[in-house]
Amino acid sequence: MSLRRQVYEWRNLVQNVGDSVFLNGYPISSVGSCITAAMSANRPVDIFIGGIGNNLDMPGRLKAYQYVVIDAVALWPQTLSAQLYVNTTKYFQDPDGVPSRTGGIPANVVPFPNGQNGVINYDYQDGLKPSLYILPGQNWGVEVTSSVNVVASAVATETQIQKCFIKYLLIDGADSLVAQHLVRSGWALTVENIWKFKRDIIKHHLYAGMAELPEEVTKGKRKV
Amino acid sequence: MAIKKQLYTWELYGDGTQGTNPAIYPAAGVPFSILYGAFGNVQAGGQTGLIKEDHFVVIDKIASKPGISPTDFTTATSGGVTSLIHWPPNMFVNIVIDTTGYYQDPQNVFANGVSGTASPYPRQDQLMPYYDLWPPIYVLPDQTLDIRYTLFNDIIASSTPANWNVIPVTTMLASVYVEYTHYDGTDAMMARKLMTLGIPITPSTVDNFRRLLLENKGLDTETFSFYLKAVEAERIRENKEKRIQGLDRHHEYGNE
Repeated sequence: MSLRRQVYEWRNLVQNVGDSVFLNGYPISSVGSCITAAMSANRPVDIFIGGIGNNLDMPGRLKAYQYVVIDAVALWPQTLSAQLYVNTTKYFQDPDGVPSRTGGIPANVVPFPNGQNGVINYDYQDGLKPSLYILPGQNWGVEVTSSVNVVASAVATETQIQKCFIKYLLIDGADSLVAQHLVRSGWALTVENIWKFKRDIIKHHLYAGMAELPEEVTKGKRKV
Repeated sequence: MAIKKQLYTWELYGDGTQGTNPAIYPAAGVPFSILYGAFGNVQAGGQTGLIKEDHFVVIDKIASKPGISPTDFTTATSGGVTSLIHWPPNMFVNIVIDTTGYYQDPQNVFANGVSGTASPYPRQDQLMPYYDLWPPIYVLPDQTLDIRYTLFNDIIASSTPANWNVIPVTTMLASVYVEYTHYDGTDAMMARKLMTLGIPITPSTVDNFRRLLLENKGLDTETFSFYLKAVEAERIRENKEKRIQGLDRHHEYGNE
């Protein structure tokens, strides 16, 4: 299980009225109790550790034997935008080189779910091309920014819930060594390339096993 | 019939009551198996998914019912009875092989899995899946496969007379869809061989490998002569060893 397509979903749902965050999981809702946390306009919120909605204990940080290839990000409602970051660098920038002032890629481009309110993701159907690689030891995450103030609600409907979805390929274990070779050689980190590289390794080992031994070995004096 | 495209669906329907029976409706926030769990149309016998030693399974797709907010439930009233006809379950699905969960969160901890919103079943025109299970998951012989769902919208807590009186037996409350390719017999052996060679396991690659095997039935001349030479050398070595050890006997088959 070294190549795994992973997902993470963030929502601004919480368990109790007055809460702002729910750690390591999702809150339980019922009819009459679907509680959302408030969000301030134009203030980026980290979906891992931002203190709003479902969060993690710690930021996304890759171990020494892990690579991540971010494939897709999607969000809703239309007032949300998403920005990817790696360490201190933001992915989406304005033409003047400054990190996007509107908060990154808007939900109108990457609606979640795809087809929400008739909005279709046509431009990023295959995700980010080229994909964004996160290398071992790097911190990464996603910030969402709402262009309007989001008020807390105790009975939120589907369209009132702020959502962000990310999909990524997690490469760990022995496959991360293959990924390292591919990155150094300038090849794209895809499932197919990793498979092909591994096939080549196996093939070369088979060839190496079939090769004739040097004469000094075959005709040499036996040691045992 | 050695390579079969299989599917398994798990669905939870109403029982014609108001929906407060904890023996019928799963508790929210707790993972349950679609293979041997206590709820829904679990397969008869409720066995775990143990892959037999001559089988090989490749999981291609996984999906579940979409919908996040329970506020979006819909009802229909007829004859003074209010029936629940649509329920957003807010569900997630994870795949567990032996004791390892496939999905983990960015802090490397076991996660609930992929949501029905990202990978919906049944599929609708308006909601296209974002999630695609690629690369597929290989489940090897003697491994145990389990698929677990977690509902985060509480059906029992929502089942009050103010909301509805009845959950009809036709109302689907939650569902999971799994699509997989099942290899058995010699095809499973070829799948294992392909896996050791680092080749993706698909019906095409297995078919191709079978063709190669058939084309190479018997050994080609060069390989066969080498094989004969190697066997002869081994026979001589074995005989010599036996003579040295004083174990050579003339009544053994093949002895000189």
